Amino acid sequence: MTLPLSGRIFIANDNICLIFKRSYKYIMYATKQPSLRINQADLQCKEGCGFYGNADWDGYCSKCYRNHMEQARRKKLKQAANAQSGHQGESSKSQVSGFTKFEEKKRQQTDKKTKYFKSLPVFKKTSSAKDIGKPEKYAGLRQSNDPDADKLKTEFLSKYKYLGDEIRRDFLRFSDSFIRQILEDTNVKPVDELAEIAQKRYNVYNTRINSYHLYQQVSAEVRAELEDFLEKYTMTALYTSLFCPSSTNDEDKDLSIQDRIRKLTWVNAHHLDCCISETSLEVRDLVYTAINDLLGMDSVKAPQEKLQCVVKCCRSVVEVLQHCQGGPVSADEFLPALIFVVLKANPARLKSNILYVTRFCKESRLMQGEAGYYFTNLCCAVSFIENLTAESLNMPEQEFQSYMSGEMTTVSAWDSALVACEGMHQLCEHLSLLNNLNERNISIQEEKNKLMEEMNALKEDIKRKVSSVLESTPLVIKPRKSISVTDEKPSGGSLLSNIAIATHNSENIDKTKLTLDLTPCIKFPCIIEDNIEEDNVLKPSLSADLLSPFEQSFEGTTPDDNSILGLSKVNYDIDLSDLSAENSMAEALTPEKRFSPTPSYTPDPFSPVGTTCTITQQPLIPSSVPLQMTVQKEPQQIKDDFVAPFLEDLTRETAEETLLDKIEATPTINLPPPINPIKTEYSGFSKQGWKIPSIPCNTGDYSSLSSQPGTSKQDE
Amino acid sequence: MANRTGTAQRPNGQTQGKICQFKLVLLGESAVGKSSLVLRFVKGQFHEYQESTIGAAFLTQTICLDDTTVKFEIWDTAGQERYHSLAPMYYRGAQAAIVVYDITNQDTFGRAKTWVKELQRQASPTIVIALAGNKQDLANKRMVEYEEAQTYADENGLLFMETSAKTAMNVNDIFLAIAKKLPKNEQNTGQAGNAQGRRLTEGDTGPRAAGNCCK
Repeated sequence: MTLPLSGRIFIANDNICLIFKRSYKYIMYATKQPSLRINQADLQCKEGCGFYGNADWDGYCSKCYRNHMEQARRKKLKQAANAQSGHQGESSKSQVSGFTKFEEKKRQQTDKKTKYFKSLPVFKKTSSAKDIGKPEKYAGLRQSNDPDADKLKTEFLSKYKYLGDEIRRDFLRFSDSFIRQILEDTNVKPVDELAEIAQKRYNVYNTRINSYHLYQQVSAEVRAELEDFLEKYTMTALYTSLFCPSSTNDEDKDLSIQDRIRKLTWVNAHHLDCCISETSLEVRDLVYTAINDLLGMDSVKAPQEKLQCVVKCCRSVVEVLQHCQGGPVSADEFLPALIFVVLKANPARLKSNILYVTRFCKESRLMQGEAGYYFTNLCCAVSFIENLTAESLNMPEQEFQSYMSGEMTTVSAWDSALVACEGMHQLCEHLSLLNNLNERNISIQEEKNKLMEEMNALKEDIKRKVSSVLESTPLVIKPRKSISVTDEKPSGGSLLSNIAIATHNSENIDKTKLTLDLTPCIKFPCIIEDNIEEDNVLKPSLSADLLSPFEQSFEGTTPDDNSILGLSKVNYDIDLSDLSAENSMAEALTPEKRFSPTPSYTPDPFSPVGTTCTITQQPLIPSSVPLQMTVQKEPQQIKDDFVAPFLEDLTRETAEETLLDKIEATPTINLPPPINPIKTEYSGFSKQGWKIPSIPCNTGDYSSLSSQPGTSKQDE
Repeated sequence: MANRTGTAQRPNGQTQGKICQFKLVLLGESAVGKSSLVLRFVKGQFHEYQESTIGAAFLTQTICLDDTTVKFEIWDTAGQERYHSLAPMYYRGAQAAIVVYDITNQDTFGRAKTWVKELQRQASPTIVIALAGNKQDLANKRMVEYEEAQTYADENGLLFMETSAKTAMNVNDIFLAIAKKLPKNEQNTGQAGNAQGRRLTEGDTGPRAAGNCCK
């Protein structure tokens, strides 16, 4: 089943194209050349009845057209009956006959359906006024109504509540019977007959409303309103069945006019002698409004609503023209502008809408009034577009043909103008934005200046006040009394030197003391020397890695070590025995015995002088670590001494090594945590340390020497 | 043909007299001064009507004539040759027409003649046609003689006046003359040029008052 159907559809498609081509040919060649003389025969009914004909009715007058249609329909019905009774072979012939017949068959089928539908009990009932009030009737009706109509009904019931139940009921009764009658006749009678029925109904209601006693108290305005509402309500309810009915070829007309307009896109305002300036921004906006209004026509249902859309559109067009030319707008300018707008809008179902309005809008509305005028203009515009020829655009036929066939294309001024307008629009917006910004900037500048002035004023004010205050209370600067205090203040760097000097002084004092008093603290210069030596050892060991070569060089510089090692052992024993003797001997010592500072090691831990010495040393060494070192070192050295007292050569080397190792080990074990903080201080100390010992060293040496010989002599 | 009468029609029907509404079509070549003629009529001497502010293409003007209020609904038409074929749509159902020509332009008079012929053939048989020779203020440049136009008007049973929209000469007079000539009572079912008109008159029978008041 599906295959033959699809094949048929293909045929149908081909035929659609054919039909379109044909319709175009019809439009192109069968258009009436506008001539000044129209023969009487052209205008009168083809049937020759004396009445005027109408192009929409194939040149017949309305009555003859109805008869003609009736005959045609009968013929078709007969043909259809024959086709049905005939063989399959015949039906294949009908397939060939094309899309138009297919369409007709569709229409016939719908006819049959409606006939069948009509036979249903709901619709079979005659619409006698008595029955209408029954609820079941309303139920049947509601099915046919669309939601918009229901909305209108409720709106009506609420809006005209003051009129009383009777009038409202009468209105609804009338309108429902109206709707029912039309529904019964839909698809049975041609649409023009339905239109006539509708018009009759309008008039009947008009007479009813003006003569019926029920409406006597109703004012004229409300009567007119009710009439309008009747039209609106019934037409909204019947919209689906009356707008572009399947029994007509309105849809084809829509498609053809749409295609026609599409082919005429190249027509611009200039072609139409229309003064619309396509480049103006305001004009473009207004034209857009007009186009929107016109497009809105398809979305409303009641004829008067559609008319209102047309009126709105036309008013916009008038506004456009007023904008373009300034003066009053006459029809000479209005009609071309409207044609232009219709061409640019290309509204959907244009023809259907126009036909629907002409059929079902109350005729008085179309013949008179503003709405009627503008609708007439719209019809004229559409008619002009349909019959547009080269002559009507004042251009050579050849040019027109080439435009129509698409051989020649113009850069549509409208399109380019749109782009230009867009640019202009943005430019304007930006300019206004810039102006705005500029204004704001200026105001900011002004504010700023004001603020500046205020600030200056404030400054001046403050200055004045301050000066006045100063004048009133002069500041007397008294000489400073705290000069001594500043002198006492120690500067960071000079502190140590001062102290060093102080210590030096103290040493000197001590020396003098030693020399004079011969106190047990005679050992202290030796300790100083040792400390210095140790400092010398420690300094590189702490600052850099404890490398052996450095130490060796150190050895070279201080040859005391050997003597230290050698003598320390000897001193050790003696130290314990008598300290006082040493001290006593020290004064008389010669510099020869300098190489024996060893005895200083042994007494240190035991002698109370050692502590005093360290105390005096303390200002030299800010941190206690080096002091600890000295304390720790001494027992180590003592140990070494113990290990190798007899083998001097061996012990020297070993002791050197061990000593160095120990020295190495001791700082690594004990010093690591304070290494970093010391470093900085150490450098400072070393500077001082080098400087300082130079003086006390000698003194120390002297003292040590002085003490040494004493010891050595004692040993000897 | 289908003159709407009756108090039920418009809110402005407070006056006790009868209200007649007529549709009047303006025909004529472009630039002969159709719209200025109408503007002079509508905005010049008589009280201004609110609806007339929209444009010059569609205007209404009400004049009082004895006990009757006559409301003119003036439909302007595009005068360009190319829109000529559309004219029947405008004058369909019109009770009156003014065919305008420019007395300084012979061609416009020729066109006016064709309009008159067309109206007589195609429009309602009872239509009142007036011929207006506009731009009378430019009489020194006259190309169409007054007598020539007058004889033509007489031959065709037209109202004829030379007018000037600029000086307002004869502008109101010509409308007044039309108003007087228009039938204001007669039930005009006559020969129906189109079905719509006939329908309308069928429905309009009720409230119509009898009496010929405007002669």
